[in-house]
Amino acid sequence: MANSEGNKLWGGRFVGNTDPIMEKFNASIAYDQRMWDADIRGSKAYVKALEKAELVTTEEMNSILHGMEQISEEWAKGAFVVKPGDEDIHTANERRLKELIGEPAGKLHTGRSRNDQVVTDMRIWLCDAIATLKEDALQLVATMVERASVEIDVLFPGYTHMQRAQPIRWSHWILSHAVAVSRDVERLQEIRSRTNVLPLGSGAIAGTPFNIDRELLRKELEFDGISINSMDATGERDFVAEFLFWASLCLTHLSKMAEDLLLYSTKEFSFIALADAYSTGSSLMPQKKNADSLELIRSKAGRVLGRCAGFMMTIKGLPSSYNKDLQEDKEAMFDCFDTLHGALRVTTGVMSTLKINRPVMEAALSPDMLATDLAYYLVRKGLPFREAHGLSGRAVFQAESKNVPLNQLTVEDLAAISPLFDRDVAAVWDYSSSVEQYSAPGGTARSSVTAQVQHLRRWLQDHTQFRPHRSILSLS
Amino acid sequence: MANSEGNKLWGGRFVGNTDPIMEKFNASIAYDQRMWDADIRGSKAYVKALEKAELVTTEEMNSILHGMEQISEEWAKGAFVVKPGDEDIHTANERRLKELIGEPAGKLHTGRSRNDQVVTDMRIWLCDAIATLKEDALQLVATMVERASVEIDVLFPGYTHMQRAQPIRWSHWILSHAVAVSRDVERLQEIRSRTNVLPLAYDLLMLLLHVNVELEFDGISINSMDATGERDFVAEFLFWASLCLTHLSKMAEDLLLYSTKEFSFIALADAYSTGSSLMPQKKNADSLELIRSKAGRVLGRCAGFMMTIKGLPSSYNKDLQEDKEAMFDCFDTLHGALRVTTGVMSTLKINRPVMEAALSPDMLATDLAYYLVRKGLPFREAHGLSGRAVFQAESKNVPLNQLTVEDLAAISPLFDRDVAAVWDYSSSVEQYSAPGGTARSSVTAQVQHLRRWLQDHTQ
Repeated sequence: MANSEGNKLWGGRFVGNTDPIMEKFNASIAYDQRMWDADIRGSKAYVKALEKAELVTTEEMNSILHGMEQISEEWAKGAFVVKPGDEDIHTANERRLKELIGEPAGKLHTGRSRNDQVVTDMRIWLCDAIATLKEDALQLVATMVERASVEIDVLFPGYTHMQRAQPIRWSHWILSHAVAVSRDVERLQEIRSRTNVLPLGSGAIAGTPFNIDRELLRKELEFDGISINSMDATGERDFVAEFLFWASLCLTHLSKMAEDLLLYSTKEFSFIALADAYSTGSSLMPQKKNADSLELIRSKAGRVLGRCAGFMMTIKGLPSSYNKDLQEDKEAMFDCFDTLHGALRVTTGVMSTLKINRPVMEAALSPDMLATDLAYYLVRKGLPFREAHGLSGRAVFQAESKNVPLNQLTVEDLAAISPLFDRDVAAVWDYSSSVEQYSAPGGTARSSVTAQVQHLRRWLQDHTQFRPHRSILSLS
Repeated sequence: MANSEGNKLWGGRFVGNTDPIMEKFNASIAYDQRMWDADIRGSKAYVKALEKAELVTTEEMNSILHGMEQISEEWAKGAFVVKPGDEDIHTANERRLKELIGEPAGKLHTGRSRNDQVVTDMRIWLCDAIATLKEDALQLVATMVERASVEIDVLFPGYTHMQRAQPIRWSHWILSHAVAVSRDVERLQEIRSRTNVLPLAYDLLMLLLHVNVELEFDGISINSMDATGERDFVAEFLFWASLCLTHLSKMAEDLLLYSTKEFSFIALADAYSTGSSLMPQKKNADSLELIRSKAGRVLGRCAGFMMTIKGLPSSYNKDLQEDKEAMFDCFDTLHGALRVTTGVMSTLKINRPVMEAALSPDMLATDLAYYLVRKGLPFREAHGLSGRAVFQAESKNVPLNQLTVEDLAAISPLFDRDVAAVWDYSSSVEQYSAPGGTARSSVTAQVQHLRRWLQDHTQ
């Protein structure tokens, strides 16, 4: 009989030893020990089902439960010793259990396979992780909403194609990003509902014999549902793929926020300044204040998408049910969780502490940004917009030719472009009036932005109190 | 004033002509004309809102509506002529409208930007596309469920790590894939709810509410900058397509294996196979290979678009134009793949005798271990002893069930005459009677569950 293989959960029929390079290549303990708690919780639930099915006695169950508790403490204290031959967390925990309680440990795995054990562990772990990320995201949205509420009177340029477009409220900008993150929270909830499904009791492929009560397992582990098909349950990792994509999409949202803030923090824009806590200097140039926090947030979108695309490639074309390929799932899942957990919290810190430079922001509003308003002036006097647009464009061109701001064209200049222009055109050159016309829902008028703030506050309440959620989309 | 630029929707302040290479690089008409219908529907709704807001007269509105209807017919008949200068579908439609009705056409775009027009068009288009794909997917699930119901008595090997594992029902295999596609349908529903949101940002309250009713959106966007600058619904759709296609690729992989001479479990219908121009015996499951292959194309579209949107500054940027070809390509690919998969699953023939002959006694090694467990041994020990039996059978070069009772007793005294009951595949599968298992009752329950689910989704 084999030496080291005999200690493996699968050793039985094997005679030859594993190549040590293969041993290392195959082992997942280095990273999957992170799921020690989920693995113990899964096993504790399972032994209770074994007792109910009379496959262990009550005494054996208690012995196993007690042993598991000791193991849990060892892990929590950092005192658990991983031994050679512990190829994964499941092996490690069972090996330790046997050391602690002897023979009964050998009954724990009855009817169970690592195929359903590992995916149960992962789903437990991910549900907890999702709860954490949801809190992080809610905190970010809340921070942004409150900031938007306080700074609602600040106007500055809105950009399209990175060029000055129309005057908007600074708070409108804040909320445009908050809204995207609120959808991320809703997506996370959807993913959670598909993650929180019990796969345990699927065995290796065919299901579980021995009258294992899957409903008992579900309740013990607080899953919302039970998997329908044992082959699918052990062989699919859709919940991981969805989570990895969720992380990628969320991080693109943060990357766009970062891009904007980076622009606004340049000397040329000077709209905002990051707190020192989120900046770094240069080892060479004494004047440098770099928004490294934002650059890192933006950068990690690539890492996370890479994890997603890589894992998708891994699962493509796999034959049915469990294959070792699936082992690639954990490092991807952990990495994306860690990255998002960091990025969301740093973004919250940045948004919470940055200072705006209101005079500079408002000074950046330039009369050419009211060219649309000039066109609307003509529209209100009956001209088709298409024509009004063209005439306003001519005015822009003329102002540039005369090298004056748009609002310094004389009434005569304008009248030469269109006889509809009159003295009352002076009313156009007011940025506050300009923003206030956008009073429809979603617009940048004070009333609209206020409504967005209120809407998001109600939405936050729903999500913090676990009320049945209104979708972020339903305006009440 | 510029010549060609004057004909563009944005020409006004421009004097110099666009570089013709840039013109081609920038134009999207070649592919975005596919949204001609959505663009017309969007404009028809918009002009009604303009009338209500008294920015066009009733007469002008009717003139525009009538013109739009003519344009719609031209497109439907393939008679619409795209002209140089039509850089996109929005420009083309408005240019044609002006040709048909003159001045009032110039009022259509009042208060609207192509930023919100294009994304409205896309959302309309995608909602229709989603309805089609949902039907395709439901058809696939229904086909698989009914097949599973009919062939429920067929047993064959279940594989893990592509090695024979335990006996299972063929229908259990079918349903394992059907279940994955059913989740794809549910994901699609979730995406639809976020796609079916009106993004048009208006100056006047009345405009907004009126347009919403016309276009049957479920909601309106909350923030205009987000509405014009985000393409999350596209990114989600592209990922949905990628994930769905990995499901189909896994089904294809299995069927390809099962269709090899070595397995000979199934044979595809000729309708989904091709031959070799060289080797006369060849019957290749090209349908399955193509399905499997396209997972890469679709994921590429997804990853590429994610890369495009990363780090974009606020609100609309021309980068976003990359969205349409990706969206169209993924729709076309999934529409084809789902329907071909349905055809394959509907018409393939199984070779039941070969499938059941592939059940080998070593696949009952777990059952042998369970035999010992029922006699009181811890599973860990039982597993090891059963493993020894496997090793011994291989050493003696006999199948596992031809070890004598004496052979077995030497491994464990718990082995007795009654071990003979282990070597029965039907008994083996029937023990897996918990929900999700491969016993007849469990598989029947899965069929019933999916039939109910299908009913819910069809109504």
